[in-house]
Amino acid sequence: MLTIDKVSKVYSTPRGDLPILDGVSLTLERGQAAAIMGPSGSGKSTLLYILGALDPPSSGTVTLDSTNPYALNERDQAAFRNQHIGFVFQDHSLLPQCSVLENVLTPTLVAPAGQKNGDTDEKQARMILEQVGLANRLDHRPGELSGGEKQRAAIARALIRNPTLLLCDEPTDNLDASIADSVADLLLDLHAANNTILIVVTHSAILAERFPARYQVADRALVSA
Amino acid sequence: MTISLLRLAIRSGAYYWRTNIAVLLGVSAAVAVLGGALLVGDSVRGSLRDIALGRLGKADQALSSAQFFRSALAADIRADGLSTAPLIVATAFVTHEPSGRRAGNVVVYGVDERFWTFHGVQPPGGLAISPALAAELGVDRDVRVGDGSQGTRPVTNDVVLVRLQRPSEIPIESLFGRKEEIGRTLRLTLSEVLPRERLGEFALRPQQTELRALFAPLQRVQRDLGVEDRVNTVLMAGVQDASAARAARAALTLEDLGLKLRASEDRTQVIVDAAGGMLSGPLEQSIRDAGAKLGSSSLPVFTYLANTMRVGDREVPYSLITATDLAHVSPSSSAVAPGTSPVARDPIVLNDWTARELKAKPGDPLEIEYYLWDANTGLTTHTSAFTVGPIIPIAGFAADRQLAPAYPGITGAESLADWDPPFPLDLARVRQVDEKYWDDHRATPKAFISYEKGRELWQTRYGGATSLRFVIPAGTDADAFAAKLRGELQSAIRPEALGVSTQPVRRLATEASVGATDFGQYFTYFSFFIVVSALLLAILFFRLGVEQRLRQIGILRAAGFTIASVRRLLMIEAVTLASIGGLIGIAGALAYGQLIMHGLRTWWIGAVGTTQLTLHVTPSSLAGGALGGIVAAIICVFLSLRAVAKLSPRALLAAQVIGHEPAGDPKLARRNRIIGVVAGVFALAALAAGFLSEAAQAGAFFGGGAAALISAMFLLSSWLRSRPSTVIAGRGTGAVLRLGVRSAAFRPGRSVLSAALIASAAFIIVSVDAFRKSGGEVAASRSSGTGGFALIATSELPLVHNPNEAAGREALIISAPELLQTKFTRFRVRPGDDASCLNLYRPTAPTIVAPERGFIEAGRFEFSSSLAETEAERANPWRLLQRPVTAGGPIPVIADATSLQYVLHAKVGDIFSMDIGADRALELQFVGAIKDSVLQGELLMSEENFVRLFPSQQGYRYFLIDAPVTTAAAAGQLAGVLEKELTTFGFDAVTAAERLEAFHRVENTYLSTFQSLGGLGLLLGTIGLAAVMFRNVLERRRELAVLRAVGYDRRRVSQMILAEAGLLLGAGLGAGILSALIAVVPAWTSGSGRGPGMMLVLLLAGVVLAGVLSSVVATRAALGGRMLDALRSE
Repeated sequence: MLTIDKVSKVYSTPRGDLPILDGVSLTLERGQAAAIMGPSGSGKSTLLYILGALDPPSSGTVTLDSTNPYALNERDQAAFRNQHIGFVFQDHSLLPQCSVLENVLTPTLVAPAGQKNGDTDEKQARMILEQVGLANRLDHRPGELSGGEKQRAAIARALIRNPTLLLCDEPTDNLDASIADSVADLLLDLHAANNTILIVVTHSAILAERFPARYQVADRALVSA
Repeated sequence: MTISLLRLAIRSGAYYWRTNIAVLLGVSAAVAVLGGALLVGDSVRGSLRDIALGRLGKADQALSSAQFFRSALAADIRADGLSTAPLIVATAFVTHEPSGRRAGNVVVYGVDERFWTFHGVQPPGGLAISPALAAELGVDRDVRVGDGSQGTRPVTNDVVLVRLQRPSEIPIESLFGRKEEIGRTLRLTLSEVLPRERLGEFALRPQQTELRALFAPLQRVQRDLGVEDRVNTVLMAGVQDASAARAARAALTLEDLGLKLRASEDRTQVIVDAAGGMLSGPLEQSIRDAGAKLGSSSLPVFTYLANTMRVGDREVPYSLITATDLAHVSPSSSAVAPGTSPVARDPIVLNDWTARELKAKPGDPLEIEYYLWDANTGLTTHTSAFTVGPIIPIAGFAADRQLAPAYPGITGAESLADWDPPFPLDLARVRQVDEKYWDDHRATPKAFISYEKGRELWQTRYGGATSLRFVIPAGTDADAFAAKLRGELQSAIRPEALGVSTQPVRRLATEASVGATDFGQYFTYFSFFIVVSALLLAILFFRLGVEQRLRQIGILRAAGFTIASVRRLLMIEAVTLASIGGLIGIAGALAYGQLIMHGLRTWWIGAVGTTQLTLHVTPSSLAGGALGGIVAAIICVFLSLRAVAKLSPRALLAAQVIGHEPAGDPKLARRNRIIGVVAGVFALAALAAGFLSEAAQAGAFFGGGAAALISAMFLLSSWLRSRPSTVIAGRGTGAVLRLGVRSAAFRPGRSVLSAALIASAAFIIVSVDAFRKSGGEVAASRSSGTGGFALIATSELPLVHNPNEAAGREALIISAPELLQTKFTRFRVRPGDDASCLNLYRPTAPTIVAPERGFIEAGRFEFSSSLAETEAERANPWRLLQRPVTAGGPIPVIADATSLQYVLHAKVGDIFSMDIGADRALELQFVGAIKDSVLQGELLMSEENFVRLFPSQQGYRYFLIDAPVTTAAAAGQLAGVLEKELTTFGFDAVTAAERLEAFHRVENTYLSTFQSLGGLGLLLGTIGLAAVMFRNVLERRRELAVLRAVGYDRRRVSQMILAEAGLLLGAGLGAGILSALIAVVPAWTSGSGRGPGMMLVLLLAGVVLAGVLSSVVATRAALGGRMLDALRSE
C-alpha cells in the first residue's frame, strides 16, 4: 500500500522559497491505478518523483508497504527503488550501446545477489519483452526501434524487478495517438497482470480517461478530477 | 552583417565563459609548447653563438702555423682598420704544486699587452687562469668567478707547473728530432683567476664545455720554449676575412714559412733549405718550379749522417754524406756508374781526406752504416754497400759546409766531442784526426752518392732533400738572383701548404653555432604529444561548448541563418578564442622555453655539458609557434563544425548531440577488423624480419611497432562497434563493470581516439626506453663498444717510442710492474673538433686519428654498415681504410655510427669535405660505421694516408690499451698507475667502459628528455581522457539518472564510468606497451638495447594513477548536479 501523508514541497530559490505542493495526501492499494493531471509547472512531476524516492518532501511522509524510503540511507534508498519501484519516462532513456534485452536487464544488475541469478533474470526479461510485443527485437539497439517500441522496452525495464509501484511520467506524450493508445493498453494490462500500484502523470485527458482514479494538481494540492 | 555576427560571437563567448576558458587553456598550452620548443632551438643556437663569440673576444681571424714565426709579423700585417696581436697558443697539462692536483688539455696562451689591448680588456697582473682551470686545480676557493669585475684580484701565490711540448722545427720522428726531451716544464706563479667577462675563457675553436685556459707572459713562454721573438698565432680584427688573408699573405716572408734562402759560400749558387732540415716533396717541387721560371735548373742535396764508413778493416766514424748529382761533384764520377762495377754497387765519391783515412782507391768496396728511425722499432742501424768512385779534393762544391743543414747539437758544435745528437753516439770511436777534420772543415761532407740512391736510403715522409741549389747564371749578381728567386718563391709557395693559414675564426664559430643538433626540431618532436593533447583538449571543450548551445544554433537556423553564417559565427568565436589563446600561449612559450632551458642547464646537463645556455627570444619563433598552434586549433574546430552543419534545424532544436554514431555497426566493425588483422599480420612479419636480419631492425621497429599499434586500435574499434554475442546479465559489481565497459561503445570513435592518443604516447615512451644503453663492461668482447680494450688514454705530449717494446719502455721510463702486461694500440692524432654527441657545435674539421697497422688487422669492434665488397673487407671492414686512394680521390675514413648519423649528419658512402688549410679541401669518404663504440669523437684513417696528409703531426697521442683486468676498480687503478708513470707526457687514462658510459649518458639523457616530455604529453592525454569521460557523462546524464532511478546508487554509477575509463586507459596503455615491446624485441634479443627501467615503470604507473584520478574527478563533477534536473521532462 502506498500512503502519502500531508506531503509538502518547497524549493529554495534566490527570490525566496517556492512552494510547489502543500499537504498532499493519498492512499493507493495494490492493484489500484491512478492518473495525475495538471498544467505545466503545477507540481505533478514533483509529486511523482517524491513518490519514487527520488526527491524528498519538505514535510509529510511517503510510505510504501510501511517503508518510508526517505528514512533510508542513499544506498538503501537506491536498493529500495530497485526492488519496489518501476519508472517509465516520457523520454525512454534507453542505453544506446545496449540491446533491448540488456536495457531491460539493467535494473537486475544491481539487484541484491542471491534472490535470483542471471539466467532467471534473463528468462524473465525475455518473457516481459514477449508480453510487451518485442520478442523479435531482443538484439536490436534502441536506435533501431520506433518510438512506441522504445517506450515498450522502457516499460519492460520498469517491470523487470516486479515493482510494487509503477510510476510513469508522461509516458505517451511523444507518441502518435494510435501508438499512445497501445502503450496505454499495455500499461494497464501489465498493471493488472502484475497487481502493481500504477500512477501516471500526464497532460493527456485521453490517457487519463482510461484510469479508474484521476487526480488533478491544482493550487499545490491534489484533488480528484 | 559581420559586425552583428561579431557582436553575437563575442556575447556567446562571454556567456559560455567556463567552457571557453578551457578552450583558451588548451590552445594556449599548444601554442606555449610549440613556440617554446622553437625558442629552445633558437636559444641553443644563440647560446652557442654567444659562447663562441664571447670566447673569441675581438678576434675575427687568426693566422696560425704549425711552426713558429716572427712575432714582428703581427706588425707587418697591414690593412686599413686592421688590428693584430701576436701570441703563442699551445696545449699543456698543469700541476698545482702545493696540492699536486693536475689538469689536462689546458690551452696555454703566451700573451703580452698587445693581446689585452687588442681585446680592450684590462690585463691581469701576472699568470692568470680560467675559472674552470681554477676549479680543477682547487684554487677557486675564495674567488667569485664570472662576476664581471674589472679589478685585478690576486688570489694566490701558488706555483703551477705547466708542461707543454717543446717546439721543434726538426720533426721528432726523424733521425735528427729530439725524442727524449720533447716537453718543457714552465714553473709559474699564479696571480689570478680571470673571469669569463675578461676573456678568461678565450678560445679560437668553439666548444661549449668549460674551458681550461692559462694566460702566461709571452716573453716568459718564448724564453722557456726557446723561441725568442717568435709566436705561432696572430689575431686579426677590423677587416673582412678576404682582406685579412690577403694582408697576412703579403706580410709573410719565406723565413716565416720556415724556409731559408742564401747564396753559397762561393756565391755561384743560391741555396734554399728548410728550418726543419727537410724539404717536403710538394715544397721541393714548388721550389724547383720557381727556379725553372728564372731559367735556372735545380740541384737537389740530401745530406745524411753515416755512423761508419768502412773499407776493409778501416773505418771513419760519424761522417756526413751528401746525396746529389754526382756529375756536379765530379765530372768523372760517371765512369763508375751503377752496374759497371763487378758487384754492381752504387758509386760513392770520397774526398781525399776520407780516401786517405780509409786507404781507399777507386773500385774498392765501401760499406756505410747509418741510423733510421721507425715508429715501431725505434732506432735501427742499416748498412749499404758502395763502390768507391773518384777521389776528389776538398775544394769548390765538395768543400761547401752549407751542404749540411743546421742540425742542433751537431753542426754548431765546436768539436766532435761536443756533439749532442738525439741518438746514441760512441765518442770513443772519435779519433784525433776526426777532430782535426771537424776543426778544419766542420760539417763538410766526406763523401757523395747519387741523389737517387740517397733518397732510396734515407727518404722519409718529411721529404727527400735537405736543400735545393740553383746555379746563378753567369754574369748575374748573386744577391740580385736571390732576390728574384725570393720573389718567385713567395708567389709560388702557398703558406697553407706549409701549415700556415688564416682562419676566419669568427665566421667559423658562427657557422658552427648552428649546432650538430637542431634542438628546436628535437624539442618539437619531444613535445609532439603535449601539443596533440593540448589541441585535443581545446577541441573537446570547444565541441562541448557548441553542444551546450545546439538549441541556440537551431533557433538561429530556424530564424533564417544559413549553415554558412552559423559556421561563420562559430568560426569567429573559435578564431577569437584561438587568437586570445595564442597570445596567452606566447607568454606560456616564454615560460616553457625557460623551463626547458633550465632543464638543459640542470636535469639534462648530461646532454649539453654547459650551464651557459640561456633563453634567446626570437619574435619569428614565437610568432611561428603561435601561428602553428592557432592554425592547428582553427583547422580542428573547422573540421568539428562540419558535423554541426550536418544536423537539421529540428535536430538542433532537439539538442541532438553532434557527431552521433550509431552504436553497433557490423559493417564498420567488419571493415575495421579486417584492417586490424592485416596490420597485425604485417606487424608479425616485421617482427620476423627483425629476428632474421639485424640490418632490418630499424625497419622492424618503425614498421612493426606502428603496424601493431594500428592493428590494436582498429581491433578495438571493431570490437566497440560490433554487436556482442553475450548479454550483459548477472548481478553485482562484475555485471556493472561489464555494463561500464560496454559504455565505451557509446561513442566508439571518441573512445578509440582517446585510447589511440594514450597508446601512441605509451608506445613512444616504452620503445624509447628500450634504446637506453648501459655502460660498457670492463672485460668486454673485442666486438663490443669498447673493442675489448680496458683503457683509453690521451697524452698532451706525443709518444714517439713504442711502449710495447722493451727499448721503448726504457726510453719512456715505464717501470711499474702492473704495466708489464699492458699492450698499447697507438693512434696518431690530428686535433680537431669533437665529433661525438658531447660537442654541441657542428664539427667542421673533426679530430682524425690513425691507428698503427696492427689495429686494422685485429678487426676489433663491430660495424653497423660499410662499403665492404670483397670477402676480406666483409670479414674485416677496417681493411677498407687501406683501399688505394686515387689521385685527388677521397680518403677512406671510418666513423662511429652514432656520430655519423646524429652529429655529422652523414651516412656510409658520403663524402665529407674538410678544410685543412691546403690548396683544396680534403675529401673524406665514410667507408664504414662502427656500432656504438668508444670511438665517437674521432674519424679513423689509415696510418699511411695520415702521415702522407699530415706529416707535421708527430708521434702518437691517443691510445687504446689492453690489460688483464676484470673489474672496474682494477681498471681504474691501472689507469692511475699509467698516468703516474707517464706523467711527463701528460697522460690521461680512463677505463673504456667509463668512456662508453659517458657517451651513453648523453644518449640516455636525450631519451630521458624525450620520455619526460612524452610523459607530460601522456599525462595531458589522460586529462584529455578525463575530458572525454566528463563529456560522455554529461551527454548521458539523463540515462545515468534513469539508472539511478532504477536503483543504481552513486557507487554503482561511478563503478560503471570508471570501468569505461579503465577500459580506454588500459586499452591505450596495453596496446602502446605491447606494440612497443613487439617493436623492440629484435633489438633486445640482439643485445643492443636493454629492458625497461624502474623509471619507465614509475612513469607508466603515474599515468595510470593520473588517468584514474582524473576520471574519478570527472565522474564526480558530472554526477554532482541534481539528478532530477536530468530526469524532468517539464
